[in-house]
Amino acid sequence: MAEKPRIALCWLASCAGCDEAVVDLNEALLDVAEGVEIGLWPVATDFKYNHLESMADQELALGVLHGAVRNSEQEEIAKLMRAKSKVILAFGSCACFGGTAGLANFRTREDIMNWVYLDSPTVVNPDATLPRTESLVNGKSLTLPEFYDHVYALDQVITIDYYLPGCPPPPDLILNGINAVISGDLPPRGSSLAPRTALCDTCPRNRTKPERLEIKAVKRIHEIEADPEVCFLAQGVICLGFATRTGCGETCIRVNTPCRGCFGPVPGVLDSGARTLSALSCLVKAGEYGDPRRLMESIDDPAGYVYRFSQPTSILGRKRRVENV
Amino acid sequence: MDAFDPKVVCFSCDFGWGFVSGHEALSPLVENWIPVTCSSKVDSVFILEAFEKGADGVLILGCPEGRCHFEDGNFRTEKKVYLLQKVLETYGIERERLRMVLSNNPEGERIPELVGEMKQALIKLGPIEKR
Repeated sequence: MAEKPRIALCWLASCAGCDEAVVDLNEALLDVAEGVEIGLWPVATDFKYNHLESMADQELALGVLHGAVRNSEQEEIAKLMRAKSKVILAFGSCACFGGTAGLANFRTREDIMNWVYLDSPTVVNPDATLPRTESLVNGKSLTLPEFYDHVYALDQVITIDYYLPGCPPPPDLILNGINAVISGDLPPRGSSLAPRTALCDTCPRNRTKPERLEIKAVKRIHEIEADPEVCFLAQGVICLGFATRTGCGETCIRVNTPCRGCFGPVPGVLDSGARTLSALSCLVKAGEYGDPRRLMESIDDPAGYVYRFSQPTSILGRKRRVENV
Repeated sequence: MDAFDPKVVCFSCDFGWGFVSGHEALSPLVENWIPVTCSSKVDSVFILEAFEKGADGVLILGCPEGRCHFEDGNFRTEKKVYLLQKVLETYGIERERLRMVLSNNPEGERIPELVGEMKQALIKLGPIEKR
């Protein structure tokens, strides 16, 4: 019998929701496990990083990485996985665009450290101890990874072969992706393993969208009793479906929750947040000239809203850890 | 230390600004001047890219209230500018660095004047300290 292809899944700055999504494949996971050998999966299997280090370069048929990169340990694992894998799949929104973890880029490292270790009302830290990369305890040196001053999307640290967005990615796209890699039936490198159109195109409420949309009052979803059949924008609730790639199965929409943009931009869009803002400024109908603030003020945190999943890949937020990636 | 010479990128609507003098006459007078067909042609992406590429301020000149050739392009841009100012502040870029003026000036002599005014305001603010 031919040797089974080896695959590895590893987490970086991640909540493990992506691991959970793989577990959610249910019985299908058993079929996957039949066809491949899992070389590394910290959440589900016992392993040590030196197992990965001891592999030959490109020994893994597929390396799945989820989570953004915020510290030196994550960078090291990402680079190690890159070296050992033929194909790297950026799995989930944090790996693809930085994800919600990326919102931390709106604060400096100093702000974050001060709040978490000193200023937060629940913190008791009379000696003002802050984490350090190296401390001496009883004559022994203890080390911690370095906390970077920026959250990076994965492709700002290593070269990525394929992207699978979603928070988390849905089971059908995960299975398609894994099977495509195993069978070798893959699109051009750098592609996203998700449909190319916007969520509005597949939204079950699309036909209720009026020909000319005009939001006369911006509402939050908890402020109204949203009609489960009608387009959110027509109800004044900001839904990011028009600026977001589809493929999620409209899971949020089906439980009467507007799209928050976890699938990221459609192909060809550089900064989905900026595009969303442009669209919103047309959709929101304000009263008088010179006073657009009245309505626009009801959008409390536009930056947090439109960059919820994509701050590290936005025009002003992007940075590269490694220049030649 | 060298004196701070702020870079201003100026977008102006061709229907209201400088159409009598023309682009060739005005271009030498305004650095980084981008005349557009309507102020609403200025996408958020252009504004953010200007800041990313080193602009210290962006000035958008649109037509006066109710006089947009395309009905409400100037008004849409005004709303966009307001939202973008909030976004820029979140990035640590002061809202004063993005300014919109709704007026008109067919000769266009006010375009370099307004850019100069904005430069003065930017000198007071200093260079961008982006987060």
